[in-house]
Amino acid sequence: MPMELLVTLLLALPIAGFGLTALVGRRLGTRAWVIAVPAIVVTWAIAMVVVWTAFSGGLGEGGLHFTLYEWVPAGAFTIEANFAVDNLAAVLLIVVTTVGMLVHVYSIGYMAHDPGRWRFFAYLNLFMFSMLLLVLAGNFMLLFAAWELVGLCSYLLIGFWYPRPSAAIAAKKAFLVNRVGDVGFALGIFAVWTTVGTLNFTDAFERLSDGLAGGRIEAWAITGIALLLFCGAVGKSAQFPLHVWLPDAMEGPTPVSALIHAATMVNAGVYFVARANPLFSLSPEAMFVVAAIGIFTAILAASIALTQNDIKRVLAYSTLSQLGYMFASLGVGAYVAAIFHMTAQGFTKGLLFLGSGSVIHGVHEEQDMNRMGGLWRRMPITHATMLVGSLSMAGIPPLAAFFSKDEILGEAFRNGFLWVWLVGILVAALTAFYMFRLMGKTFYGPSRVDPAVEPHVRESPRSMTVPLILLAIPAALLGLILGLPFGAGLIGQWLGPIFAGAEENLGRHPEAVQVLGVDGVLILVSVAVATAGLAVAIRLFGFHWPLRGDDTEAQPERVAALTARAPRLYRASFRKWWFDELNDLLFVRVGGRVAHFIWWFDRAIVDGTVNGIGDLAQSAGRDLRRIQTGRVQNYALGIALALIVMAGGFLIVTAR
Amino acid sequence: MTLPQTVPFLGWSWNDLLFLALAAALLGTALMVVLGRNIIRSGLWMIACFATLAGIYALLGTPLVAAAQVLVYIGAISVLILFAIMLTQTKGGPAALVFHHQAWAAAIAAVVLGVLLALVVSSTEWPLAGEYAATSVKAIAQLLFSDYILPFEIVGVLLLAAVIGGVFLAKRDAPRDEPHGERPE
Amino acid sequence: MSQSLDSYLALSALLFAVGTFGFLARRNAIAMLMSIELMLNAVNLTIVAFGAFVPALQPDASVIALVVMAVAAAEATVGLAIVIAIYRNRRTPLVDEYAQMRE
Repeated sequence: MPMELLVTLLLALPIAGFGLTALVGRRLGTRAWVIAVPAIVVTWAIAMVVVWTAFSGGLGEGGLHFTLYEWVPAGAFTIEANFAVDNLAAVLLIVVTTVGMLVHVYSIGYMAHDPGRWRFFAYLNLFMFSMLLLVLAGNFMLLFAAWELVGLCSYLLIGFWYPRPSAAIAAKKAFLVNRVGDVGFALGIFAVWTTVGTLNFTDAFERLSDGLAGGRIEAWAITGIALLLFCGAVGKSAQFPLHVWLPDAMEGPTPVSALIHAATMVNAGVYFVARANPLFSLSPEAMFVVAAIGIFTAILAASIALTQNDIKRVLAYSTLSQLGYMFASLGVGAYVAAIFHMTAQGFTKGLLFLGSGSVIHGVHEEQDMNRMGGLWRRMPITHATMLVGSLSMAGIPPLAAFFSKDEILGEAFRNGFLWVWLVGILVAALTAFYMFRLMGKTFYGPSRVDPAVEPHVRESPRSMTVPLILLAIPAALLGLILGLPFGAGLIGQWLGPIFAGAEENLGRHPEAVQVLGVDGVLILVSVAVATAGLAVAIRLFGFHWPLRGDDTEAQPERVAALTARAPRLYRASFRKWWFDELNDLLFVRVGGRVAHFIWWFDRAIVDGTVNGIGDLAQSAGRDLRRIQTGRVQNYALGIALALIVMAGGFLIVTAR
Repeated sequence: MTLPQTVPFLGWSWNDLLFLALAAALLGTALMVVLGRNIIRSGLWMIACFATLAGIYALLGTPLVAAAQVLVYIGAISVLILFAIMLTQTKGGPAALVFHHQAWAAAIAAVVLGVLLALVVSSTEWPLAGEYAATSVKAIAQLLFSDYILPFEIVGVLLLAAVIGGVFLAKRDAPRDEPHGERPE
Repeated sequence: MSQSLDSYLALSALLFAVGTFGFLARRNAIAMLMSIELMLNAVNLTIVAFGAFVPALQPDASVIALVVMAVAAAEATVGLAIVIAIYRNRRTPLVDEYAQMRE
């Protein structure tokens, strides 16, 4: 089977699934998933074939590039529907299709009682199509189309329970904030077009770097283009200051949160910056901005996650924080580490979200952690898998996220970005802390569940737990598989060539990782920090030791005391640093005033002028009409006056 | 007794005195015409004006024109006007308002016009303007019946037309006599 | 002064001005017609004055003056007839009430 056909099928199957489900889904009732889920399973299988071919070198140097058809045949501005499948895309394919497939299966159980489930599966398939299109796109235009489509699907899925006002508002917020970033993105695309005249990725990047080297393109132009395009990534991946939509996006069903807002859509920004590495690596200023925004978002989000009570919100802020890590990594030039972390985080966060969905399902739609507790007995599988996920997230070896996080911090330190490393270490500590705060409040200690619900709390059905187990495997082992030995693991081998050009631009020379040198110390430091955070959390929130079988009691009084000692900090964290209020003030209120003023201006001045001209014509006519009195003597007076004026004028003129 | 060469006290010539007197009379009567309240009085002042004008024509050495002025204007036109006045009298005497609202503008316009005209004609060098000379009636008569015979006849026809038109316009719509009896009025 | 053309012309201009004022300012139609007669007479005076002082224009000037007089008579006739006809219809000789053609 030729590769082009397989890749095309990757796109065709989900969109066909969407179409069919949309047409006949309603009539299928409980079996609404029978079209969508198998479509994605087959897509996953095909993707695995493609990935295997890619990693075994079957796609050739630089990957597979082919054109499906001419999309916009407009003379000079001709855009083709062309696709690029290289190792980077392959890595994304793994994450997207695997997590996507598991989420589809999980949703069979999760949405079993929802009357709108046919819509859900249709939208999920549409989303898969959009995301795959984004990953496989070979030019800016196609990417942008996929970018917008993904945003649309996000809107549809966040607002899936649209009768609920908060959901509708959250969906709107997501779309609008995304749009803000997309404006910058679009401007960046325009800039690329006007600078190099092509929107094809490979051609554009080549011309840009040649242009800079040859002096035809200014350095500031390169930086400008990079920053504009980065705006889109900021919006899509919810970095500061466009991060406000992600926590509210938790209004959607949990599978949506798992798929879109943990594993795939939010990674689109990271994927794009990685794809555009030839461009970004040409501009140290742009890289600095990327790193700064990334690491700032990381610590901002981590600080908020410390105090949130909604289980999904903690995970949302955790996602934000990890995305920040990824951008910081891209900004310091550690591309491989960033993609590695994205992969690890994709599986881990997906696992955690699906797990939280299982918990929520188990306690009958309660999301406040203060009303959970002691669930480790009732929901063992969920508990075990989430424990794995939390350990991974906290960066405890030998689980997945430890490897990737550590590589990021190591690269930062080694390339001189000490401030990134320092903040990153702090964030690692906070991450461990809040993850185990979550675990403690949810699973351990006495049960604080609503007494009416308590007797009915039980483990979730197999359609939900099986995906959890399946996700726990890569969350645990991915690091070992791809990351060892340090710095020279499989992931490095796969992705190295893609980023070779960027490394050159940055003047980096890959060095071997010295476990017994600086790098070893760094690893120890990060592990120590993570363990410290974990220990504090266990002391404060409780834990159940699976092997010893006993518990560490939670100490709510200690927690309360700590909170009381820094009330303002607590409040700032709890209220998300008042960022939503700031946005409301700046844009909604001020914008409202400006709009009001413009409305007034339009009414009073513009309309006034136009109406005034009309009125002027009317009144002029009305007044001029009064000359026509019908009386001869008035007319004769007019004649006499005219005669005087003309004669007088003539005399004056001729007298000169 | 012959008149002295110049007017005593003033040293003007008699001609000049006569001219000034007639001029003053002319303008005075004309003003009385336009400013008079009672329209019949205006008509009578108009007659006086015409008479003065006849005098000026005589002063200019054209006695024929002076005579024609008296005959035509005073004898015919003025009478006509007086008749018309009497035929259009409104009940209750003359109207309260003699002048329009626009009388002031009219006055200013008229004054400016007059001054303008006077200045223009005074400052113009009229070619061939020589000494004053009287005209002989014989010469007028000869001209009238040789070179100007056509205009003469046409004017006659014009007058006829005017008469017929005037009669027609001004007559009452009287009931026609039908062959089969009179229509009641 | 009586020997200069200018004074007669100035006199004529002033008479014309008086006539114009009367024409523009009086409300009674017949008074307007009388003012017209004054204006015509002023013109006649101009013609005769030119005839007296410009020998080349004599005796044509007198003939023209006579013709003007005749035409004035004809015009007065018709004008007055019209005024009488209107008066019959409107019962008023005041021209500011003949405003049928106003806007």
